[in-house]
Amino acid sequence: MRAVSILAILGLLVVPFVGDSFMAYQLGLYLLFGIVGQGIALCWGRAGFLPLGQALFFGIGAYISGYALKTYGDSYVALIPFMLLAILIPGILAGIIGALVFSRSVGSGPYFSLITLAVSMVGFQLANSLEWLTGGFNGLTRIPGLPGIDTYETLYFVIVPALALSTLLVAYILRSPFGQLLAAISQNEERAQFFGFKTSSLKALAFGISAAIAGFAGALYAPHQGIVTPQAVGFLLSAELVIWTAVGGRSTLWGPVVGAVVIGFLASELRDIFQYWEIVVALVFIGVVLKFPDGIVGAIASVTTRLRRPVSTADGNRRKQTAPPREQVSETALVFEDIFVQVGPVKILDGLTFSLDEKNITCLIGPNGAGKTSVFNAMTGKLPIRAGNIQWGGTSVTGKQGFEMTRLGIGRKFQVPSVFNDLTISQNIDIAIWSNRLRFTDLFLTSPYSWTSGILKQVEDVFPFLKVSNKKAGDLSQGQRQMLEFAMTIMTEPALLLLDEPCAGLSTAETHEMIGAIEAFNAGGDMTTVIIEHDMQVVERLADKVLVMSQGRLLAEGSVADIKADPAVQAVYGGGTK
Amino acid sequence: MELFALYGLNFIYGIATLGLIVLGLAVVFGLLGVMNMAHGEFVMLGAYSVLIVQGQGLPYFLSFPLAVLICGFVGYLVEWSMIRHLYTRPFDTLLATWGIAILIRKTVEVIFGRGYQSVNQTVTGTVDILGVDYPAYRLVVFVCAVTLLVGLFIWYRRSNTGARIKAMIANPELAQAMGINTARLARGTFVFGVCMAGLAGALIAPLVRVEPYMGLDYLLSSFFILVVGGLGTLEGLFIGSSVIGGVDVAVSAFFDKTSGYLAVLVISILFLWLRPEGLYARR
Repeated sequence: MRAVSILAILGLLVVPFVGDSFMAYQLGLYLLFGIVGQGIALCWGRAGFLPLGQALFFGIGAYISGYALKTYGDSYVALIPFMLLAILIPGILAGIIGALVFSRSVGSGPYFSLITLAVSMVGFQLANSLEWLTGGFNGLTRIPGLPGIDTYETLYFVIVPALALSTLLVAYILRSPFGQLLAAISQNEERAQFFGFKTSSLKALAFGISAAIAGFAGALYAPHQGIVTPQAVGFLLSAELVIWTAVGGRSTLWGPVVGAVVIGFLASELRDIFQYWEIVVALVFIGVVLKFPDGIVGAIASVTTRLRRPVSTADGNRRKQTAPPREQVSETALVFEDIFVQVGPVKILDGLTFSLDEKNITCLIGPNGAGKTSVFNAMTGKLPIRAGNIQWGGTSVTGKQGFEMTRLGIGRKFQVPSVFNDLTISQNIDIAIWSNRLRFTDLFLTSPYSWTSGILKQVEDVFPFLKVSNKKAGDLSQGQRQMLEFAMTIMTEPALLLLDEPCAGLSTAETHEMIGAIEAFNAGGDMTTVIIEHDMQVVERLADKVLVMSQGRLLAEGSVADIKADPAVQAVYGGGTK
Repeated sequence: MELFALYGLNFIYGIATLGLIVLGLAVVFGLLGVMNMAHGEFVMLGAYSVLIVQGQGLPYFLSFPLAVLICGFVGYLVEWSMIRHLYTRPFDTLLATWGIAILIRKTVEVIFGRGYQSVNQTVTGTVDILGVDYPAYRLVVFVCAVTLLVGLFIWYRRSNTGARIKAMIANPELAQAMGINTARLARGTFVFGVCMAGLAGALIAPLVRVEPYMGLDYLLSSFFILVVGGLGTLEGLFIGSSVIGGVDVAVSAFFDKTSGYLAVLVISILFLWLRPEGLYARR
């Protein structure tokens, strides 16, 4: 990939000598759009959310740069701070928008896209009406070129290095732990939160970076075109940027550039010979969306990787360095005080009260609908609590979100196996190792890839299949995915481990394996474990204590023998009336 | 008093036309979840069918069946060739329908040219309501809009097909297991939705500027109305139209057209951000 990128950049540098300078001038514009597309691809192809108003950030960069060139056009000393602003202001604006929007809801539905679209329309309207600032409808005109650089002859040799810079930046981000976390978020955001990552901030950061890249391209667009009009922030350009990215390939580095250049030249060629060229472009676009969702470059890339022999990425020995220690959590006491949870007219938890304060295994049982999973959900911010108080280690944690609970030493395994399907086993394990360890600066360093931790060895001994590190998690069997998720949760070294039916969907042999694993990791006596379970065989093997729930309340607690002898429990399970 | 009545009438009329235009998207996006970016283009097709009818010297009312015919045909083609493959891929639906929008727009441009077209008004004159001379055609549009909305509301609640659609939305697999042909039902719903858009276009054509790019404004305001009102119900559609239409009219009256437009955008952003389920949610 790196070789391809270097060749592409070199090839682009030769263009003006092979073709004519007008062609290079045209190409320069498409390359600028391609740079914006690379930012869109970072958000859309990697992090899984589609920004629909990217022209706004491009246009802000262009307006700032245009203003600076018109005012201080002859001195780089005065220009450079403005050029930095042309990058920073869009980046910060997008970061704020992202942080506000993403923190409201998990997931990447169409609403974020519609918001960015609407914001870009506001920008268009303001650019049109704030005449004193933007020149209104006619825009900023007669913008001079960069000092000492001829717009038609040499500006191209500024644009190509700019593209190289943007490519380098995006490539670096994609390979960094931050990039891997973005991939994890796009596959299963909730799971990523339960490894202690504040996913809304990571997504906002990605959006901010993409907007900064757009602003950077916009800063060069102003001298290139000599004019900036409200069209540069408008809805139509935003849509076109997304189209170019989609046609070229939303999840590749060069796809957006190829898309912008191919459609750009296709349009300029067709425009002269065929009046209705846009129909052709629309048909090409529809065809790509339907038949090649990964775009032109994506389709080519998948063919070449299929032709090549599968490379064994023997990265098992990349983990050489002991990971930095986590903050030790020594809490043991979990207290539920009179918790009420209600959704609509249904009382889910109805004054639930219990407490746990020993480092052993507690099983939570009860008939279907008793509210067992809701106990976990209430504890990890997934269900709103109407009344009552949850305490962990003596402090109230009522209403805290999933990632905050993980940071307080609470690990959770979901009922349905949730792992990052498109990441390899080894990449899944990375994320578990990074959990509660990765600091902000580590997001952009390569050193976290070399981290290992003592518990990894233990986990691999218990689950040998984890050593086949380059297999995709999505290709594992249901049982193995359950075990992978369990292993990942264990690797966060929680003080309180919540397991929701860990043996669901497992074969008898796998169930025994899982029970053995749970026993093994609890043998050290440094963890409180709560297991929701229906299978009494599992309960009898594992439980030091049993809590029985019915209709959102605690019905009984005690040892397995106590519970079995309890007439109230017998009544609930025996089908008798309460 | 008369001024007040005039504002009132304009307000009610504004809401009714908005509701009329949104109706098609409410069906396609609200029920099927298809983010149909070509919604405005179907409205535009409906408006151009008036042009065709009048070009042939035929009576205006014939443009309604023609609009349904054209939109039905195009809608069927689009559903069959693209949408049915994309029901589970929302972003790709958005892109594909955007491509369709460009295609329709450009094709119309090829046939009719880029410029504005004028459509003759056949129902002319005014009617005296509450002491105001109100344009008669606006009343026609109002009556048609209300009839259509109310009729559809009752039909959707009472008919078997309405129940089947609800079943399909709630659980497509189970609906299939119950013997509902969901592929055909979804296609029917989609085609019905775009036909409604066409009908709306034919109705409003004499009152607006008719040109190939007219759909864009209708598309975005329709999305915002649905988001503000809430998806999947006619109550939501009505509330959304009132809020968006009301804000636009009120702010435009106090300040200017641009401020009204900005206010609508800001309200839409706030709803998308803070209350994406809208004012009147299905659940």
